[in-house]
This record gives sequence, structure tokens and C-alpha cells, in this order.
Amino acid sequence: MFMEVSTHKMLLLKNLQISFNDEQVLKGINLTVNKGDVVTLIGPSGTGKTTLLRCINYLEKPDDGEITLGDVHLDYKSIRKKDILKIRRKTAMVFQQYNLFKHKTVIENVMEAQMVVQKKSKKAAYEKSMEELEKVGLIDKINAYPSQLSGGQQQRVSIARALAVEPEVILFDEPTSALDPELVGEVLKVIEAVAKSGITIVLVTHEMSFAQNISTKVVFMDKGKIVEEGTPTEIFNQSSNERTREFLNQFYTRKN
Amino acid sequence: MFQLDVLIEDFFSILKVVPQTLLLAVIILILSLFMGGCLALIQRKKIPILFTIITVVQSFLRGTPNVVLLYLGYYSLPFIVQYIVSLMGIDFNPHQLDPVITVIVVFSISFSVFQSETIRGSLHSVERGQIEAAQSLGYGFFHTLWKVIIPQALVEALPDIMNSFLVIIKALSLAYLISVVDIFGQAKLLGAYNFSYIEAFVAAAFVYWILCSIFTLFINKFELRLRKGY
Repeated sequence: MFMEVSTHKMLLLKNLQISFNDEQVLKGINLTVNKGDVVTLIGPSGTGKTTLLRCINYLEKPDDGEITLGDVHLDYKSIRKKDILKIRRKTAMVFQQYNLFKHKTVIENVMEAQMVVQKKSKKAAYEKSMEELEKVGLIDKINAYPSQLSGGQQQRVSIARALAVEPEVILFDEPTSALDPELVGEVLKVIEAVAKSGITIVLVTHEMSFAQNISTKVVFMDKGKIVEEGTPTEIFNQSSNERTREFLNQFYTRKN
Repeated sequence: MFQLDVLIEDFFSILKVVPQTLLLAVIILILSLFMGGCLALIQRKKIPILFTIITVVQSFLRGTPNVVLLYLGYYSLPFIVQYIVSLMGIDFNPHQLDPVITVIVVFSISFSVFQSETIRGSLHSVERGQIEAAQSLGYGFFHTLWKVIIPQALVEALPDIMNSFLVIIKALSLAYLISVVDIFGQAKLLGAYNFSYIEAFVAAAFVYWILCSIFTLFINKFELRLRKGY
């Protein structure tokens, strides 16, 4: 997939480190994401891909490192509450388990953050929400509660909710891993459309062929480190790194 | 010996004290919920010294009957108030303190212990993922609490809160011991007045029963509405 990519840097991580119970999960991550990039993190389970993603919007608190996100630069060692909100208001996240607000209808789920965080009027939030829900094809479900929707529909709502706040970077955390196989396609299609719209994306996924098609950059992680990064062709077809190839081979043998 | 007309008469004169009993119960419910919420917060955040104090006080309150606490409050609270007020340079006659105040203070404190358990449990029931979703969208602490946690915790806590309301209404019958007249107090007075205790207490029992039934019905409807999304 090709698109116009400017070299303007959107997200920069420098020496990001985090430990859980004395076990170092991320061992100094350096990552650059340009504006409009679709960066996919791949690698074995338990490697810290999701943790890395969650560090970007500070759902996990890194022990050390620096982040630059648009015009915000922060050192994790001296982070303040205000800074956390700044970062979070520039990003949005789509979770593996959708995490929709159960007590709200579809439209309310998409509207609320716009009103609460961005202080938009109800009318403006409604219009924006309808626009986003139309993109994900759920205009006929606006008054349903999450529990009345399939997993795929719920995930599409959560994508609409994330888009509605117009984030500079959108983070996808294994968005199709909790779905029944027949529902994966509809969600991938929506993500692909989001990617094409030019918004910057960081994605963790186990859908290898999808990663290959959609990404502008693929990052292979293993044991808390970035082993290799490059274009999809470089990683999937031309990698000379043994661990990368081992991981991908294992993946393809399992699939076939 | 059982006189139906006395029963009916008693029933209606007991109804007259229902509003004040309910008002008292509502005040105690709200105060105990508020204090229970504070307790739950302190316990959740594990604020050092406060946490220990609260654990001891909680165990004391849980382990003592309401009657004892009520008498304890009745005989000590006026002097505590007098002392505090005197610090501000105001003269206060401890015997002026309305026993209704004592009832409110004692019951609010003793029920707050149970409310804190309810609140803790209901807060715990809100999925971590939804809180993270709110955070990821840039909600601050207050908005996360108000828009995501409380509405859902409330649904979870509602049956227990309702139950505690009924317990408070019934516990208020003890207030008569320190001369505050509620449903039970009124029945006791009527019984003594007519020498017809059975009629008076049957009437009181019916009043309690009807009240509790109405509230249960009402709250079930309310809960159903809140649970729409589940």
C-alpha cells in the first residue's frame, strides 16, 4: 500500500524502559513514527508489544525514557499529571476487548469524549459521531447498547469512538484478537480505511498478511527489544535476521 | 379482646409520623453513604495512618450493637459538642442538643461502615478496561469517576443501598429509647394511651411492611431502567 508520507516526525520514543516486579519488560526502546505512518509491531507473545503501545499513552508508567508526540516532549522521570492528559488527548486507543462504556448507547459512547474532553456542544458531537459511525457502517445501530452488538460491531464502535476525538496518533492493541474468525474481516476493512485516510497509526497485531498489506513500517520485537524494523517487504521477504525469519516461518507453517 | 377499630385508628395515627421517620432515614442514608464513600476511598488508596485508625474504628462499630452506640452517643455527644463549640468561644448548654441530632450522628457513623463495604464492592465491579478506555481518551480523574465509574457502580450497589435503607428505617425504632418518636415510638405511645398494645404493634408492623414493599417495588423498577445496557 502506498500513500503520501511526509517526513514530519509524529512520535519519537527514546530509550523507553519498564519493569514489572523486577522483570524488565521493555529494555530501551527507540522508535520513530512519521506523520501518516502505519507502524505495525509484530513479534512473539509476551514480548512487550502491547506494553509498548500502552506506554505511549501512559496506561503503563515507564521507568525511564523520553517521548515526543507532536509538539509535546516529556521525560518519563519527571512527568506530571497535566503532561499525561496532554499526551492522552493527542492519542486514542482501540483495545482488544473493545472496552465500550456498557451503560451508554453506541452514539453516546462516541459522543461522550467529545463533550467531556473536547468540550464540544452536544450538537457538534452528535454530528461528528454520526459521521464516524457512518464510516464504520453502524449508522443503523446508534441507539443499541454494546451488549446488543456482535464483537465485530463493538470493535467498529470503539474505532469510531477513537476517531471522533480526532487524535494525532491512533493506537490499535490487537484489535481483532478477541473476535470470532468470521468477524475479523469487517474490522480489518475498517482499519484499512482508517489507514488510508492518512492518520498516523501504531498497531499491534497477529494478522501477518494484514500487517504486510497495510503497514508503511514493520517493527519486529523480541524479548523486550526491537530486533529489526523496515518496510513490509524488507521484514517479510528480505529479512536476513534469524529471529525474524524464525518467527515468520513458524507463523506461516502454523497457518498453512 | 382484639379491637379492629382501634387497629385502624392506630394505623392512621402512625401514618402521621411516617414522613418524619422517612426524612430521618433519608438523611442518615445520605450521610452514611457519603462517609462510607470516604472510608472506601481511604481504604482503596491505603492512606497510611488513617487506614489503621479506620480499620480499628470499623471493627469497633461492627462489633457493638446499635443500642449501645445510641446510648453512648446520647450521653456523650452533647458534651463533645459543648467542648468543640466552647473552643470557638460560644456558650452551649449540652442539654439543649436535640436527641434527633444524636440519632442522625450515631446511625450515620455506624451505617457508614456497611456502606463502605457496599461501595468498595461496587467500585470493584466496574471493568478496568472501561476505566482505561476513558483514560486513553483523555478523561481526568473526576470525569472518569463521574461519567464511567459511578453510573455503573451505582447499578451494582443499588440493591445493597436499598437494603440498607430498609435496615435504617427499622433501626430507627431504637431512637425511641432516647425519646425520638418514629413509627415504633408512636405505636408504643398509642398502645400505652389505649391500653391496647397488640393493636398498636400490629398497626406498626403493617406500616413497616407496606413501606418496605413500596420501596422494594420502586427500586426494582428503577434498577431495571438503569440496567438497560446489561
